[in-house]
Amino acid sequence: MTNNDKAKKKSKESGWYLLWEYAREHPFIYFVSVASIGLSAILAVIIPRIIGQFTDSFKAGTLDVSGAWKYTWLVFVVGIARVSFGWIGRLLAAQHGRVITYKIREKLFKKWESLSPSYYHGHSVGDLLSHALSDVEVVRQVASMGINITVNGIFMLGAALYMMIIHMNWPLAIAGLGPLIAIPVMVRYYGPRIKEQSAKLQAALGNMSQTVEEIFGGIRTVKAFGNENVVIGRFEEKVDNIVSERIKFVKLSSIFGALVPLMASLGFVIVISYGSFLTINRTISLGDFVAFLLYLTLLRQPLEQLGNMLNVIQRSSASLGRISELLNVPPMVFDGTGKLHNSPVKGDIEVKNLTFRYPGTPVNVLKDISFTIKRGRTLGIIGPIGSGKTTLAHLMLRLYEPPAGSIFIDGVDIREFSVEHLRKSIAYVPQNGFLFSTTVLENIAFSEDKADEEKAVNSAIITAVDEDIRKFPDMYGTEIGERGVRLSGGQKQRVAIARMIYKNAPVHILDDSLSAVDTKTERLILTNMKNEKFPEIAGRSKSTIIISHRLSAVMNANEIIVLDRGRVFERGNHASLVKAGGLYARLWNMQAGISGRHGFPDDDGANRTEMLEALIDEDAQTVKIKEAEEGA
Amino acid sequence: MAIKFKAALDILLPYLKKYRFRMVWIFLLVILVVSTDLVQPIIVKEAIDKHISVPHPDMGSITLMTGIYFIVVIAAFGLTYYQNILLQETGQSIIKHIRTDLFRHLQGLSLKYFDRNASGRIITNVVSDTEALNNFFTDFLANNIKSIFTLIMIIVFMFQLNIKIAAYCFLVVPLIIIISAYFQGKLRAINQEMRSRLSTVIAFLAENLAGMSIVQIFHQEKKQFREFDLRNTKLLESTMVENQLTLAYFLFTESLGDIGVAALVWFGSGPVIRGSVSFGVLYAFIGYIRRFFQPINSITMQLNVLQTMLVATERIVRTFNEKPDITEIAGAKVPAVKGGISFNATHLAYKEDNDILKGIDLEIKPGDRVGFVGASGAGKTSLMSLLARFYDPTGGSVKIDGVDIREWPLKELRQTVGIVQQDITLFAGTVLDNIRFFRKEIPATRVYEVSKMIGADDFIRRLPLGYETLLSEKGATLSFGERQLLSFARVMVFDPKILILDEATASLDSESEAVLQEAIGKVSGGRTLLVIAHRLSTVQQMDYIVVMDDGLIVEKGTHEELLKKSGHYTTLHKSGLLIEEALI
Repeated sequence: MTNNDKAKKKSKESGWYLLWEYAREHPFIYFVSVASIGLSAILAVIIPRIIGQFTDSFKAGTLDVSGAWKYTWLVFVVGIARVSFGWIGRLLAAQHGRVITYKIREKLFKKWESLSPSYYHGHSVGDLLSHALSDVEVVRQVASMGINITVNGIFMLGAALYMMIIHMNWPLAIAGLGPLIAIPVMVRYYGPRIKEQSAKLQAALGNMSQTVEEIFGGIRTVKAFGNENVVIGRFEEKVDNIVSERIKFVKLSSIFGALVPLMASLGFVIVISYGSFLTINRTISLGDFVAFLLYLTLLRQPLEQLGNMLNVIQRSSASLGRISELLNVPPMVFDGTGKLHNSPVKGDIEVKNLTFRYPGTPVNVLKDISFTIKRGRTLGIIGPIGSGKTTLAHLMLRLYEPPAGSIFIDGVDIREFSVEHLRKSIAYVPQNGFLFSTTVLENIAFSEDKADEEKAVNSAIITAVDEDIRKFPDMYGTEIGERGVRLSGGQKQRVAIARMIYKNAPVHILDDSLSAVDTKTERLILTNMKNEKFPEIAGRSKSTIIISHRLSAVMNANEIIVLDRGRVFERGNHASLVKAGGLYARLWNMQAGISGRHGFPDDDGANRTEMLEALIDEDAQTVKIKEAEEGA
Repeated sequence: MAIKFKAALDILLPYLKKYRFRMVWIFLLVILVVSTDLVQPIIVKEAIDKHISVPHPDMGSITLMTGIYFIVVIAAFGLTYYQNILLQETGQSIIKHIRTDLFRHLQGLSLKYFDRNASGRIITNVVSDTEALNNFFTDFLANNIKSIFTLIMIIVFMFQLNIKIAAYCFLVVPLIIIISAYFQGKLRAINQEMRSRLSTVIAFLAENLAGMSIVQIFHQEKKQFREFDLRNTKLLESTMVENQLTLAYFLFTESLGDIGVAALVWFGSGPVIRGSVSFGVLYAFIGYIRRFFQPINSITMQLNVLQTMLVATERIVRTFNEKPDITEIAGAKVPAVKGGISFNATHLAYKEDNDILKGIDLEIKPGDRVGFVGASGAGKTSLMSLLARFYDPTGGSVKIDGVDIREWPLKELRQTVGIVQQDITLFAGTVLDNIRFFRKEIPATRVYEVSKMIGADDFIRRLPLGYETLLSEKGATLSFGERQLLSFARVMVFDPKILILDEATASLDSESEAVLQEAIGKVSGGRTLLVIAHRLSTVQQMDYIVVMDDGLIVEKGTHEELLKKSGHYTTLHKSGLLIEEALI
């Protein structure tokens, strides 16, 4: 890494570049904004001077009606100009600050869209959301208020000092302003402490609310044990804690709240005593004296804000750092540099000696996996939780990057596909059947911009969910989720499978996505998927991988592999595996319920064995028929 | 609003009464604080008029004035601090009382109340509504008393200084109030809009972050980005409008301040020139006119707080007005518990005219082990709820050892009847405290003993800190089976004579189920055991099985007897409702 790169990286880490970039793109706006605010601050400082001169001419006895008229107009014009310029400057800075927040949110969203699941494993949605909300909000404060307050404060202080020193009396200026200068220092000191205490208070409140949630969530348990007094005690503890944290907070913020006006008033004390001495000595005029007092009043607020700003800047440094770090997370999967394979996929899949471990972990989750799926055939994968089934599916989709030379589609390493083309060619149903809270139609037609209703309905018919959907209040237009209908687990899975079918990709992967569907419906869906009734979306040509816990979902597959701890433990078709008497056969017996459980006698076991044998026969027959069909 | 206000007062008054002397003291302190603040321009005016702007100034009396000013400043500092702390302490004590009273009251309510009210609403009631009341004390009360006094005193001072100038000033006051109110109303509306748009953005983000892999797999990044942009733009629009309004309001108040000063110079200079008004007075006026807007602003803004607080108080009052419908008979005594149960023509309805139990007659002898089966909705769980007196029967009676359970002391009853539920509730705290349910009077040795007995000891000791391990939220670090074992241990610590398992094993995997089954086998001796289950294997080992359907008992007998009858049980059996789950 060259020095230049390092420097670049450093500035990226600090995150301020996000603001600079924007400011550099809009130099005119920021110039006008800063100039207006500065001008406004200077004008504000002029008003006390006008009042001072008014006082002097009055004192000198030279003030007549036209003079009074002149001063009135001066105050009025300067006042309105001050407010107007201030308004323009603030408006520009604030409005653009909001645009910056908007843009940062867009950038974040785009970034998130490019990150793979491994990233989401390491970061909770709540944490990520806080980037989009609080961190971005802090940045907004700095981008809009920051300019206004800093420019205003600095200009006002400078202009006031200039006026006081040049036109009046510098020792008085310094003596009077002395205590005021302490204000930003105090803000700087107390600000973080108050914030920290406020966080503690919030934590205490959160703690209580968690306890309350827990207790009322488990109210049946509490009642069942007659434990009301114990939980009241627990609740009281939390409330006491809140009270003590709140009092600490109040003490800090009250002392701070009282100190700031105290400083301003101390400045007054100095100006009154020393200033009146100077006035009596005729070193300064009565007008100067009045102007001094007005300056002190004028400066108090900007100085207080300036101190606050220092804290905001510090906080936003941290926020900007977090945002910039996030924006610079490198994507794990990206298109290769060579010529990318883009021709339509037929659906021959081959996995060769695939061994995989997640980046940064020591254990191989998949070890030496090999299989082939010819176009239109079905592979079943079963195995207990943690055996690597889902990882395999994720690798095929390149949600994680597989090792080179391990996964091929149509004989081409999938790493030579463009990510877009690969994902367009594979339709996948994830385990949890995640659906978005939009309409049923939009969910099924998720893979297209414009939903084709007929295609969606056909997909739903294939997955045996059409009838259910037609019972919803707005049928396919019904919203899913809180604002609409809550789907049962089985309905969710079937809609998710319909979404896969709709995509009409040559390769189908179902990742344990029939678990909440009863076996009869499961069989119906699997049969429909290979049926040629709706040839535009489903049919025999689709290559299919079915991952499942339940043997009934895979028993009709052309090949079944049993995964255990990342290895292929057994392979074959249903009949051969049952015959082999290994793990598959044992699972089969257990799931079909032949053996009595846990030593309790099951007296109709005999009956069941008969039933089961019939079942196996039937299945063996289907398998045979299918094979015959495919052979033909 | 007036009615709400009265309701709020009704609930607050008893608490306020307790602190009435303190409240009066705080009230006086506020007046003092405001006075020390407002007297400052007056002192400066006096100094200018009487001591500086005179032909022969006297340094001694100026020093005296400075001294007075200094004392006032220091007093303002001390009083402000003291008054603030005192007010907050009082407010906090009141809120604390209201909170605990509310919580205690809720704990006393029966399950019927919790069935009717979602727990989210109850939590809001205890947490946010009381917090809104707290804002009433700390923000509303303090700020408004202060603002009103400031306003009154400014007015008084101004009129005292010069009636004519003051009167001019007051020509514009109604205008200021009307315009302020207008802006505040607008701002309130746009703020609400902004918040709702923000929450749309948050909801969209949360959902898409959770389902990001779907977006990627279907390659719909562009489409989702467009959707996001739509919401983000809407948010931007409303924040822009809000900002424009805020700044327009700023433009208005600030210019009015400056116009006020200009007007003072004009109207004031006439009398000053004629000598009827001193220059110091003019100075003081300028000071006051600038201070005038703050309290008006503050009051109009505080109206929001008042509104929220009234709504919150109304909800709190409603909760306090709920009466528990399960009560104890005073002086009830416990018989020596054997564990016999009898239901006599027992009816139960959660809603009127909708009986869940339609006349249950059942006699269970002490030590019986009874299985309950039936389709969901048959009334099995409701029947068990009656035993713990979660509800009282709407007809007939429930007796334990021949005594109507309504005549039992509640605490004794609930320790006699132990229920293991399907939903497991663990609380934030150690494993030990969870098993003894935070009752410190139960020794740890008893907990160990019970855990060993039911076979939970092994896995507990394997936890990082053994029995002292802290359970995280919802006990997420434990497996489902382990959590069920803990909740079973919790029931057994209290050594219930009647043990109810309400589908306690339904969600367990086969291995955990086996462990729990074994544990149940070990502890069932000497207890009456009632088991609701869907699984054949679970109910088969009971002494007899009770079959329920639609709120009635339809059959009773052993597994074999019932199968022979070819009745309801056989149908259930065939339809697969008594299943053995077929999952790995």
